[in-house]
Amino acid sequence: MSPGVSTRPRADRATETRVLLPRRWTSGTRVVLADALGGLRRNALMVAAATTTITIALAVAGAGFLVSANLGHVAAILEGQVEIVGFLRGNLPAVQQQRVLAAVQGLPAVRSAEIVTRDEALRRLQRTFQAMASVNELLPSNPLPDSIEVRVTDARRVREVAEVLQRIEGVDEVVYGAPIVARLMALTRAVRIAGMVLAGLLAAAALLIIVNTIRLTIAARRQEIEIMTLVGATPGFVRGPFVVEGALQGAAAAVLAGGALCAGYLVLAGHASSALPFLPLVAPGAVLPQALALVWALGIAVGVGGSAIGLRRHLLS
Amino acid sequence: MIHFHGVGKAYPTGIVALQGVTVRIDPGEFVFLVGPTGSGKSTFLKLIQRIERPTAGRVVVDGVDVGALPAAQIPFLRRRLGAVFQDFKLLPDRTVADNVAFALRVTGVDPLEIGPRVLWALETVGLADRADDLPVRLSGGEQQRVGIARAIATRPRVVLADEPTGNLDPEAAWEIMHLLSAINLRGTTMVVTTHNPMLVDILRRRVIELHAGRVVRDESRGLYQTAR
Repeated sequence: MSPGVSTRPRADRATETRVLLPRRWTSGTRVVLADALGGLRRNALMVAAATTTITIALAVAGAGFLVSANLGHVAAILEGQVEIVGFLRGNLPAVQQQRVLAAVQGLPAVRSAEIVTRDEALRRLQRTFQAMASVNELLPSNPLPDSIEVRVTDARRVREVAEVLQRIEGVDEVVYGAPIVARLMALTRAVRIAGMVLAGLLAAAALLIIVNTIRLTIAARRQEIEIMTLVGATPGFVRGPFVVEGALQGAAAAVLAGGALCAGYLVLAGHASSALPFLPLVAPGAVLPQALALVWALGIAVGVGGSAIGLRRHLLS
Repeated sequence: MIHFHGVGKAYPTGIVALQGVTVRIDPGEFVFLVGPTGSGKSTFLKLIQRIERPTAGRVVVDGVDVGALPAAQIPFLRRRLGAVFQDFKLLPDRTVADNVAFALRVTGVDPLEIGPRVLWALETVGLADRADDLPVRLSGGEQQRVGIARAIATRPRVVLADEPTGNLDPEAAWEIMHLLSAINLRGTTMVVTTHNPMLVDILRRRVIELHAGRVVRDESRGLYQTAR
């Protein structure tokens, strides 16, 4: 028996009238919601196909975001390795060295700074050239000066910090590999832009696919829309259930895509940490909430927007 | 009820569907609209429903200048007009009763009224016992009767039927025309386009003949073709 209307034999007129009152014909929002759920149920196969397509599109867009975030992370790691070395004047007293250190640490663009004594510098040199003959044997005395190693908060400010460092009393010479830093900056900028372009393209492709998918599902139900408009349904009444359906489809796809992204990223992050320890991915906890929010917002917005756009053509006609 | 005052309709493609049409249809009339394919019959109905707007003249329905009607008012105009289609336009995945109820639900009829009205409409067309069937289980004639039940369920003052018997065998066609006549006798204005000479000649109702967008004949008890 149909869920909506039923009739009994004509003899039982009173019963018939009562039975004819359908359970789902209630007023207001419930009607729109009931219609939307009814629409999803009646078109289950098409809805499943569309939701799968939207899920894939959202997952691709979310993956684009994750790739972009990780490229930005790699760029930040590379930039974080930019270092300024200020060689201190020979035999600068320890008190003086601490003053230089305090002055440098007080600069807003400085992330960290430390004094490296000439002995420590020599030990590092020995570690670096372990395979070669002992440096001590070749050198009559330690030729290295004391130095201060400075890391900046933003690699773009390395020149500015270097210039300030150069002017501090007790600092002899400042080295930061200007050409290398310039090249690194160009590289990281390119990586960041590439990440954003990739994420943008994937999001745009996802949008197009989703809107088109919803338009197809609406086009398949154009007769229903046509009848609605011909019998005198207002555009709002026609739009309501379709928009709710779109939102529900978008939300369902967002949940599925979000689940797939989380699972995929957690597995990838686990493998990457052991296989590529020098290139750590952004911690899942730091990037997945944003990715999920993006997928969720995109899913619902596109579900609602796609339905409204898809209906426009039919409502205008 | 329906007045066409010097109405013309030219489509953007350049096709002139109607020109200089002046017709008055009074409440309770039964009018056959005849003429060859492309003579403007369907456009005539579309102008009444405001699916199209006239490019010249005025179409007045129940005192309302339809061409000048704001878009927001169009649904309310259509609620006063029942529409019957050659291809029935039934929703195949809904029962007969749900198809009829559909028109009531989407036009905001009080939910408590829908059941009784569906029953009344189905009884009027003689299909109350098929309420739970899907359209595919009905014959062509029965499907068209569901279409008519849907059209009258909203209790319109006018029913517009565009080739309602075009897809039916002669016996079913006659049943449908008989049903439309019965509904008309209850006071509903009926405008029916048709290519079926037999039905027009038997019923002998008012006949308006269109040719190349112009009214070439308007007889109160006419035949399909002019007696020459």
